[in-house]
Amino acid sequence: MASVLGMNLCRRSPAFAKHLGLLGTTNLANCSNQKRGAHRWYPDVNWLKQYDTPVLYNERHLADEDGLEKYEERQQLLEKDVKNLFLNFGPQHPAAHGVLRLVLELDGELVLRADPHIGLLHRGTEKLIEYKTYTQALPYFDRLDYVSMMCNEQCYSLAVEKLLNIDVPLRAKYIRTLFAEITRILNHIMAVGTHALDIGAITPFFWLFEEREKMMEFYERVSGARMHAAYIRPGGVSLDMPLGLMDDIYDFAAKFNERLDETEDLLTNNRIWRQRTIDIGLVTAEDALNYGFSGVMLRGSGIKWDLRKTQPYDAYDKVDFDVPVGVNGDCFDRYLCRLEEMRQSLRIIEQCLNQMPSGDVKTDDAKITPPSRTEMKTSMEAIIHHFKLFSQGYTVPAGVTYTAIEAPKGEFGVYLISDGSSKPYRCKIKAPGFAHLAALDKIGRGSFLADIVAIIGTLDVVFGEIDR
Amino acid sequence: MSYFGVDKVLKIFKIIRANGGIFKSYRKMYLYDELKIGKLIGEDKYGNKYYENNEYFYGRNRWIEYNPKHNLEYDGSMVPAEWFGWLHYKTDTPPTVKPPVQYKWLVDHTDNKTGTPDQYVPFTTTPQKIQSWVPPKAKKP
Amino acid sequence: MAWKDITDRAATTIFFSEIFRGMGVALAQMLKEPATINYPFEKGPLSPRFRGEHALRRYPSGEERCIACKLCEAICPAQAITIEAETRADGSRRTTRYDIDMTKCIYCGFCQEACPVDAIVEGPNFEFSTETHEELLYNKDKLLNNGDKWEPEIAANIEADHLYR
Repeated sequence: MASVLGMNLCRRSPAFAKHLGLLGTTNLANCSNQKRGAHRWYPDVNWLKQYDTPVLYNERHLADEDGLEKYEERQQLLEKDVKNLFLNFGPQHPAAHGVLRLVLELDGELVLRADPHIGLLHRGTEKLIEYKTYTQALPYFDRLDYVSMMCNEQCYSLAVEKLLNIDVPLRAKYIRTLFAEITRILNHIMAVGTHALDIGAITPFFWLFEEREKMMEFYERVSGARMHAAYIRPGGVSLDMPLGLMDDIYDFAAKFNERLDETEDLLTNNRIWRQRTIDIGLVTAEDALNYGFSGVMLRGSGIKWDLRKTQPYDAYDKVDFDVPVGVNGDCFDRYLCRLEEMRQSLRIIEQCLNQMPSGDVKTDDAKITPPSRTEMKTSMEAIIHHFKLFSQGYTVPAGVTYTAIEAPKGEFGVYLISDGSSKPYRCKIKAPGFAHLAALDKIGRGSFLADIVAIIGTLDVVFGEIDR
Repeated sequence: MSYFGVDKVLKIFKIIRANGGIFKSYRKMYLYDELKIGKLIGEDKYGNKYYENNEYFYGRNRWIEYNPKHNLEYDGSMVPAEWFGWLHYKTDTPPTVKPPVQYKWLVDHTDNKTGTPDQYVPFTTTPQKIQSWVPPKAKKP
Repeated sequence: MAWKDITDRAATTIFFSEIFRGMGVALAQMLKEPATINYPFEKGPLSPRFRGEHALRRYPSGEERCIACKLCEAICPAQAITIEAETRADGSRRTTRYDIDMTKCIYCGFCQEACPVDAIVEGPNFEFSTETHEELLYNKDKLLNNGDKWEPEIAANIEADHLYR
């Protein structure tokens, strides 16, 4: 209880914290004569001059309070120039979520300035895509935001489809929606789990990752890879779902709510969790708009904006779901938003499973989608298309598009310019995490060092998409 | 009885008995980290034994006991191709029921040889296109 | 704020009820069976579509399938495949070099989709980690050997997935 009281006291009264900081600096100056060789100081003339007064060291004088005070005053004179501490947070720090290097200017434990450095995971994806055909560029999108893989693919596929001016079959739309929502749960599990882990609660992380493992198995069964699926392609999805997968997804979705309840039992009302998240990382609605936030970061501040509602893509206009909105715009509200979004995702998953139509999973344009294996092996025309598609690729009519989807982290957009050839002329990727990380200085300024960790957790940054 | 978990304790005795006494059970614990009871489904030609017991949950109900001659030097890659699918839950029919395809050019299974003298060393499969210059020998006078 | 809310909140603060609730959930989880598997003995489920280590297949007669059409080389987004081809003594076209740099490979599965004769496949094996980089520079010999080793499983996978391909 005492520590709690102390913490609140520190948070409420800046004056008190300043006092603490002052005490800290006193200690620092006293040990300036360390044997590190840095800033070694020798007594000089000016320094000796201040002691150039008669000093009588007898017992009576030392006992005299005035004499002691004078001695203290002389000591005070030594420490005039106080520097703030610069702290490199990351890239190896486990709470830095990958390769974030954060240069923090600290005054004691208060953060005066937070300067995120990026680029440690830069792979030049955008430039690489300019030299790949539209088919080949697809696997690069898995590797952008590597905890919400299929949503990135979906965004790219939608962009290419818009340029091609084609529509995909209804079943493909439903499969995409289904897996986009599975991806959303995957991502939010990661976000909530690691957020709690950073703050000190390791248990929900383990429990939720057991569920994440199950969803990875769904990924594996449908595409053949647990993470980098390359499943959603321009023109549909690469293969139909295997038999029995929908039953298993239904089983999972029916039970997952319980897991969320357990997580809520552990976190939502827990006083430590509340103290670490409520009123931490406050973002006003105005700031959220001005700093270009999207996704949960925007909704947590009370702005109701969801691309799935405002400009529905794929099958989102055919399913029913709610968009949770926060009130205060602090870490706690965003945590609640994420949990509620997971529950809404379960609703969407169930509707997708129930409404799943039969039919094709790829558009039947032979100039865009490769033929099936049997067709390719029996028909001459099909094998010509096959060779053409896998060597030159399909050509996309010249045009420009900015296509955005509501990825789990926010608005993930692809700005694609086609010059009429089979390779994109330019592909700019708009990553939601970039805007969020850029506002870290704004959000984190004036908070404690430990709260910076909570803020990074709630920003849900993933460096695959920020550095690209 | 099951309410107080007594049946769980009795099950331990049953498992030890099925594994052939305390010493054999201890050896199995040492080799395979865990003591389980299950039905022997088959054995491959490398001496690995395959068990199944559906009382355990999906993911733990099929397991392999590597040939004891490896002692603790067992490796996950020792599972041969014909048992791979069954052990990874791709199929429910073990190769003892439905024999896999047989061709005379199939080769024996090998485990992952990295770090041993038998490890794979890459080499070029084409003749070199550029030959290094061999200096002509000076004629002896 | 109503009186009930105030008393409820006070009771929660004083009696640590939410902490005990969390403890109860944790205790219930402790009594459950652990979800982990004992890996080298028990293995996780895989699907027939799994994309693992590459292999070059043969026809049942023992003739290698690859005809050096180089579609896999063309589609590979990471440019991990290198192929050279020559006409063989019997007049058929076959590869002389088929190298895959497994450290470049991103396991997207485009090569097996591109292959018109089902020669290059991504097999089911994932336990091929090595201690050195050079061991992952696979050549044609290694890939054919993989195919000869894994053919029963590869054939079973293709059969299991034939409805969807």
